[in-house]
Amino acid sequence: MQTEWFSLLPLIILATGGSVIFCLGAFLRRQESTALLFGLAVVTCLASGGSAVSFRNLPGQLSGLLAIDVFSSFYTVLFATITLITLLLSYQYAKNRGFFGDEFLGIILFAAAGMVLIAASIHWLPFFLGLEMVSISLYVLIAMRRGDSLAIEAAVKYFTMGAVASAFVVFGIAMLYGATGTLDIMKSLDVGGHVDNRFLLLFGLCLILVGLCFKISLVPFHLWTPDVYQGAPAPITAFLATGTKVALLSMFVRLAVYGGDSVGAVFAPAVWIMAALTMVVGNITALAQTQIKRLLAYSSIAQMGYMMMALLAFKHQGPAAVIFYSVVYAFTDLGAFGTVGLLSPNNSDRDAIADYKGLGYAQPAKAALLTLCVFSLAGLPTTAGFIGKFVLFRAALDANFIGLAMIGILMAILSLYFYLNIVVVLYMRPAEKTTALKTTGNEAILACFLIATIIFSLGLFPSFTLTVIEQIVDHISNP
Amino acid sequence: MIPFPLLSFIIFWPLAGGLFVLAFWRYPKAARRIALAVALVEVILVASLFSLDLHLNGTDGWLLREDFSWIPQYGVRYSLGLDGINLTLVSLSALLGVMSILASWKQISERVAVFHVMLLFSQTAVMGVFLATDLFLFYLFWEMQLLPMLFLIGIWGHEKRIYAALKFFLFNIAGGLLMLAALIGIYLVHGRQTGDYTFALSHLMQAKPAPMLEMWLYSAFLLAFAIKIPIFPLHGWLPDAHTEAPTAGSIILAGLLLKTGAYALLRIAIPLFPVASHRFMPLLLILGLVGIVYASLVALGQKDMKRLVAYSSIGHMGLIVLALAVWDSLTLSGAVLQMVNHGLTTAALFMMVGMLDERFHTRTLADFGGLWKSMPRFSAFFLLFAMASLGLPGLNNFVSEFLILVGVFRAHPLVGSLAFCSIVFTLIYVLKLVQDTLAGPIKHQHCRDISPRELAILLTLSLLVIGIGLCPQPILTLLQDPVQRLIDQTGAMPLPGTNLMPAK
Repeated sequence: MQTEWFSLLPLIILATGGSVIFCLGAFLRRQESTALLFGLAVVTCLASGGSAVSFRNLPGQLSGLLAIDVFSSFYTVLFATITLITLLLSYQYAKNRGFFGDEFLGIILFAAAGMVLIAASIHWLPFFLGLEMVSISLYVLIAMRRGDSLAIEAAVKYFTMGAVASAFVVFGIAMLYGATGTLDIMKSLDVGGHVDNRFLLLFGLCLILVGLCFKISLVPFHLWTPDVYQGAPAPITAFLATGTKVALLSMFVRLAVYGGDSVGAVFAPAVWIMAALTMVVGNITALAQTQIKRLLAYSSIAQMGYMMMALLAFKHQGPAAVIFYSVVYAFTDLGAFGTVGLLSPNNSDRDAIADYKGLGYAQPAKAALLTLCVFSLAGLPTTAGFIGKFVLFRAALDANFIGLAMIGILMAILSLYFYLNIVVVLYMRPAEKTTALKTTGNEAILACFLIATIIFSLGLFPSFTLTVIEQIVDHISNP
Repeated sequence: MIPFPLLSFIIFWPLAGGLFVLAFWRYPKAARRIALAVALVEVILVASLFSLDLHLNGTDGWLLREDFSWIPQYGVRYSLGLDGINLTLVSLSALLGVMSILASWKQISERVAVFHVMLLFSQTAVMGVFLATDLFLFYLFWEMQLLPMLFLIGIWGHEKRIYAALKFFLFNIAGGLLMLAALIGIYLVHGRQTGDYTFALSHLMQAKPAPMLEMWLYSAFLLAFAIKIPIFPLHGWLPDAHTEAPTAGSIILAGLLLKTGAYALLRIAIPLFPVASHRFMPLLLILGLVGIVYASLVALGQKDMKRLVAYSSIGHMGLIVLALAVWDSLTLSGAVLQMVNHGLTTAALFMMVGMLDERFHTRTLADFGGLWKSMPRFSAFFLLFAMASLGLPGLNNFVSEFLILVGVFRAHPLVGSLAFCSIVFTLIYVLKLVQDTLAGPIKHQHCRDISPRELAILLTLSLLVIGIGLCPQPILTLLQDPVQRLIDQTGAMPLPGTNLMPAK
């Protein structure tokens, strides 16, 4: 009993940290307390990630609701890192724009707790709880810049879409419960055991998947993505694009592994079509973009398509590939959106791609990081993105999804054009006007450094991460 | 005790040196000198390879080998191997690295440090391509070549540089990514057949994919390499890239990057898929032949000297393609030698066009004339390299072209004769180039003849051109064993008409 509660520590730390920051914020004056609160939030992330590392081998099963094991510990560390980098990237950004405060930090931590909850759930209820925690936190975060009408519009859009998606999910869960009489995720996916209610079961699952596809913006459920990504403040977009999607991808992996052949056979054609559509529409639409956040939004849609392609290979190395790529994707997109934020002048985000002319020389370090992230998204060698793409395509080809892989390769070739365009603008077109930016704070520099290190180390020495991922996939496949 | 990893050192020394140069971005002069020093040390490192016992034929035919586990999950190893073939090409790379830095001494005045970093990076990538024996590693270097060149053309190029840079990059990466798919394909086939998932070239050669699959896989590899060589009709990116690139970029591009394509076809694509490549041989023969004729005809019509040299490159590479298509010891030795020779002469010609460009800010043929009188020393060298390029006996290209033509004629008399006739076209455009620039009335009165720096470059290259022309035997001896080994591995390509599948 003792160990069980102990194993929840990463979650507890995140939630407590968030609450403490809220309380302190009520008593302290805003101007004086920013550094203190920020420090507290950073410590919370570190402590949560650290405790997850040290308790990873505890056999924690919380009354059939949560499984605190290597799988969830891995994700906890990942989310703690994502949150930490988001915090580092947004400190100065938010302070300069006047929305930094206790509520900002607290909500980010709550969102992180929600993500951990999603990754740890083995029961539909905590999963839904986590999903809502993340979503509601993000509605607020997106609208944080209250004066900005684009941000408000984005928040409303995200809210509407999110609410509809949640409705789908919760309705689906109800159907599953009706069909199988259990909310345990693994048992509820047992098609063979509930032959009589097979249709109801699959219909419920279908609704859940529709909801989840909204959240990770697969085509045709992607239409909200560019607007929301464009409207939200850049570091929040980074958090939204990486944290949420990685959390839900962990759920996709779990469903694919638990569902196995019986579920996979039913949904494979649909996933095939969605993966193909997502890769094609995401990349082709990105070609036409003139604004960097919209471009990155479509690029992130396309990246989801590649992952869905590998997920189809759930019997081969698909799950491991998806997990590895979601790590790669998380840090790459954090870096991309993060540098957009760092390169932005004070009043708004630097959104038009044409405004990046000559920045490669005016802001060499940040532009270099943006370039690195773009190369990683494009999957060029020595970056993490290359190993990621390799792992994905290997899994898909191994499972004989040759047609889909070919679509993916062709789209990857196409995508190079718009990725390179960013590099061309940064380095090869002369600047028309120079706008002085405020000097970047040390915390943001640290974040950039972390991201660059991670991208290179995953690109050159992926072996360690791959081993860990193999272990955790193994763990959830053979409980 | 691990022996000193000399090959890795050769590959990564320019990269490390480049990072060091980057630290001097505020001091262009220092950066330039340090870059030169780095490139010179690289030459010394490569020269030290010749102290090895070059006739040693180890267990698997490598003179020097490095092999470490890298990503064990996917059977990826960091493995390098040196034999006579890549030794010659590595030497060429080291030499042209120095030349490219010297060639841009006066031409590049903006962002000097970064420029040299890019030159050194591309040297690392090219060395890696030549030395890698693990296909994953090879692929990594293969794609890495593109990035420095993208920046070299795109930042320091001429007017239409961005268009040219993007075209270069997209053409090549398209081939590269398709090759990646095929690479994973052959890897999975081998893994399923033997249970051993590996990217080692020597292991993958044992894989036996189904005939239809082998055709597809080979096509993907061939496409990637053919774009890089470039084989007609995939050459569209090359003239633009050369025209827009700075001189050093052209040297690296023509001297090294094109060679990686031919080398990869020779070392990887054909040995990996002997049956499919045998079926494709007629196609390669035709395309090689068409390439020579087409490139020569188009070169004849060029007004821009750099474009003319670029098209001549396509023609010379066409000859290499013919040589590879015939696939016997004579033509293969000729092909590798031709790679080196073409690297030397074309680099020299690009450099000399660059020198003219620096002086007169034009490369249009019509703007020149009478250089023989106004710049006698320059003209003498120009004539020498032009003659080498059209294959004058006694100069380097003659040897390799002769080997190739004899080999091709022996295997396919008709193709050989046609190839021989097509060399005449080469003669025409080279003579036109020489006539338009050196002869005729003087167009520019006061012009500097070559400076000591330029003299040093040209003298080095011309010594090599004459040296190889008069005494090619040391290089041919070096190539003999590895070429024979390649042929043994694939089985001799039977003549067309005899319907024998090569024994494997």
